[in-house]
Amino acid sequence: MSTFIPTVRETFRYKGKEGQLAWIGHRLGGLGTLIFFIIHVVDTSWVYFWPQGYHHAIVLYRSWPFQIGELLLVLLVIYHGLNGLRITLMDWKPTLWRYQRQMTLGTFGLTVLFYIPAFIIMGSHALKNLLGIELF
Amino acid sequence: MDIRLRIRRFNPEVDQESYWAEYDLKDVQPVDRVLDLLEHVKGHIDGTLGLRRSCGHGICGSDAMRINGQNMLACKVLVRNLVQGDKGTIQVEPMLGLPVIKDLIVDMEPFFEHYRAVVPYFINDDPAPERERLQRPAERERFDEGTKCILCAACTTSCPSFWADRTYIGPAAIVQAHRFIFDGRDTAGDSRLAILASEKGVWRCRTIFNCTMACPREIPVTQLIAEVKKAIGKQKP
Repeated sequence: MSTFIPTVRETFRYKGKEGQLAWIGHRLGGLGTLIFFIIHVVDTSWVYFWPQGYHHAIVLYRSWPFQIGELLLVLLVIYHGLNGLRITLMDWKPTLWRYQRQMTLGTFGLTVLFYIPAFIIMGSHALKNLLGIELF
Repeated sequence: MDIRLRIRRFNPEVDQESYWAEYDLKDVQPVDRVLDLLEHVKGHIDGTLGLRRSCGHGICGSDAMRINGQNMLACKVLVRNLVQGDKGTIQVEPMLGLPVIKDLIVDMEPFFEHYRAVVPYFINDDPAPERERLQRPAERERFDEGTKCILCAACTTSCPSFWADRTYIGPAAIVQAHRFIFDGRDTAGDSRLAILASEKGVWRCRTIFNCTMACPREIPVTQLIAEVKKAIGKQKP
C-alpha cells in the first residue's frame, strides 16, 4: 500500500503519452484477472464445502453488476494478453522502440477487434438473463 | 503573446502545503523559452522564486521540471511549442519522485545515489598501452547514445516504476551503466550487470516509454534498458 498510493497519485499528476495509458490498462487488466481468479477459486470450492453458498453465488452472477463486470473483465483480459505480447516483443527486439506508438495503438485496435465476438456472445447472454431479450 | 504562468510553489519555512501561484506576463515572444519566463518572474515580480539553472542551453541539465505535465528542460522548450494563438497558460511544477526543497528545486541526492551505484566510470586495470586504447568506429557507436546523458533526471522522475519504488535504480543510472557495459575497453561490465540484475535493477522497468519521451537529449532510453536486460539474459556484455 505504501507504494500504491504514490504511484496512483503521480500517475494522475504526470501527463504521459500512450505508453503510460497502455501501462495503466495493463495494470487494471492484471488486477481484474487476479480478482476474477480469486472469486472463481473460492466459489468453485464452495461446491464441496458450502453447496448452498455456491448456488447463491451463481444467482448473484446473473445480476446486472456481475454481467456488466464480466463483459469488462473479458475486455481487460484480452488487452492484458495482447499488451503483454507487445512488451515481450519490444524487450526482445529493443530497436522496435521507434514504432512504440504504432505498436501501442495497434494493441488497442487488436483488443477491440478480438473483443467484438466476445461482446456479441456475452452481451446477448446478458440481455437474455437480465431483460429476457433473445437476440439469436 | 499574453501568458499566464502558473507555478507550483512551496517554501518549507512558511507553507504547510504547495500551492499554485499565477503570474500574468505581457508581450511574451513565441521564441521565448520557459526559462526566460521564469527568470522574468524571479527578476521582476517575485525574487523569492526558487529554481535551478546554469548553462541555459540544454547542456548542464539543471533546469529539468514538469512543464504542462511533462518533464522538459525549461531552457529548451519554447513558448510557441506550448501555446498556440495570442494567449494561453503554461504550468510549471517540480519533478515527481524526488523531495521538493523549495518551489521548483528538488533534492537530487537520491538520484545521484543510484547513479553512483552503477560505478559510472571507466575501469580497466590492465597495464596501459604505450598510446591510447584504440577502438573501431563501430565499437564506439555501440555505446554512443549513453554518452549523451546530462543527468537531468527527466527520465527517472517520469518513470512510474520509480514513483512506486524510490529504491529502483532508475533509467538514468541504467543508461550510464550501458555506456560502460558496452564499451569494449572497460573490464567491469560483469559487476555492473550483477548490480542491474538485482531486485532494484532493470527488471523493474515496465517498458512504459515515459523516459524515452522525456529525455531532452533524445536518447532511446527504453532501448538501452532493453539491451541491458538482454545482456543480463546472455550473461555477457
